[in-house]
Amino acid sequence: MVIAALAATSAPASAAWRAYISHPLGFAFAAPGELTMEKGTYRGIVAGERDAIIYRFADDNIEYKAVVIDLAGKSNDAATLLGEAEYLFQEDKKLLMDAFGRVDRQYGRKLTADLPNNGGRTTAAFYAINGRIISLQATVLPANGDYDTPEMGRFVDSLTFFTVRAPDDAIELPEPPK
Amino acid sequence: MGAMLAITAMPAQAAWKSYINRELGFSFRVPGELKTEIGTYRGAIAGPRQTIIYRSMEDNIEYKVTVMTFFQAQAEGATILGEREYMFQNGKKVLTDAFGRVEPGKDAVYGRKLIVELPDHKGRTTAAFYFTKGRLISLEATVLPANGDFDSPDPGLFVDSIAFVLSRTEPGAIELATPKLE
Repeated sequence: MVIAALAATSAPASAAWRAYISHPLGFAFAAPGELTMEKGTYRGIVAGERDAIIYRFADDNIEYKAVVIDLAGKSNDAATLLGEAEYLFQEDKKLLMDAFGRVDRQYGRKLTADLPNNGGRTTAAFYAINGRIISLQATVLPANGDYDTPEMGRFVDSLTFFTVRAPDDAIELPEPPK
Repeated sequence: MGAMLAITAMPAQAAWKSYINRELGFSFRVPGELKTEIGTYRGAIAGPRQTIIYRSMEDNIEYKVTVMTFFQAQAEGATILGEREYMFQNGKKVLTDAFGRVEPGKDAVYGRKLIVELPDHKGRTTAAFYFTKGRLISLEATVLPANGDFDSPDPGLFVDSIAFVLSRTEPGAIELATPKLE
């Protein structure tokens, strides 16, 4: 009883997981921690420079991010642009897993890679839908050290494109500033 | 004398020839006599499709190029391609599933290259899948048990011969006709 109580008190405090949804972007997912949003730029040799939105979370030394890459004007090249994004993700990393991903009638890929210089382990899923690449990426940092944690898989597998599957209390993701 | 015997005992190999289809936008190299067929494909996402198939057989290796058109669903190309790759390997033992990339720089077309073992010891298939300009193009080479050399370099030579930038195609490539689909 004493051991159990000690174990309970020594476990790191983890933030509650919450569901998030974006009706304009057509996807939903779940993540722990506080949400921050930023605009960014994605660059690929084939894709060129594309606007990106990054929804970022951090909890227990795991970084979570949902990246939305706008393929406006190039959505007919989605197959190659998705392949390029997957390739760039794993480039210069030690690839541990590269497997089929399938969510709500969308085929994509799920990859796990070790970062260089013992920088941690990252798991990601990539899909192309509605003129965008949607990628969920979770990175376990060395300060966490539990590279087999199920939290990475929980995050990337929480993705849905059927927004009716999102919980009723899912939080609407903010739109990026114009 | 021993070397001479070995040479004469080798099966006769057909020459590899280069083929080009300017209308469909690709070229490839293959041995044997190339035949053209029309086939069918059905995927849950892709739906029913007629396919154009260029096929040859040489030394008990089957070579096949399959073309499907999705002009009205190009934006869904990534999922259609993923479904095709998934169906190809479903129920088979996957030996390799790796990135495929044809052409350099901004002309690059990304796809996948897979090697699978067929069920019931029916052979080994090497394949590459690409979706570009509204068409799903796959190359498949199957080493049959009658050949038995499952590590033959010929399937790799075949799938890696695909080109989408036709200026890369060697001069003198044989022009392929495009059969009319319904």
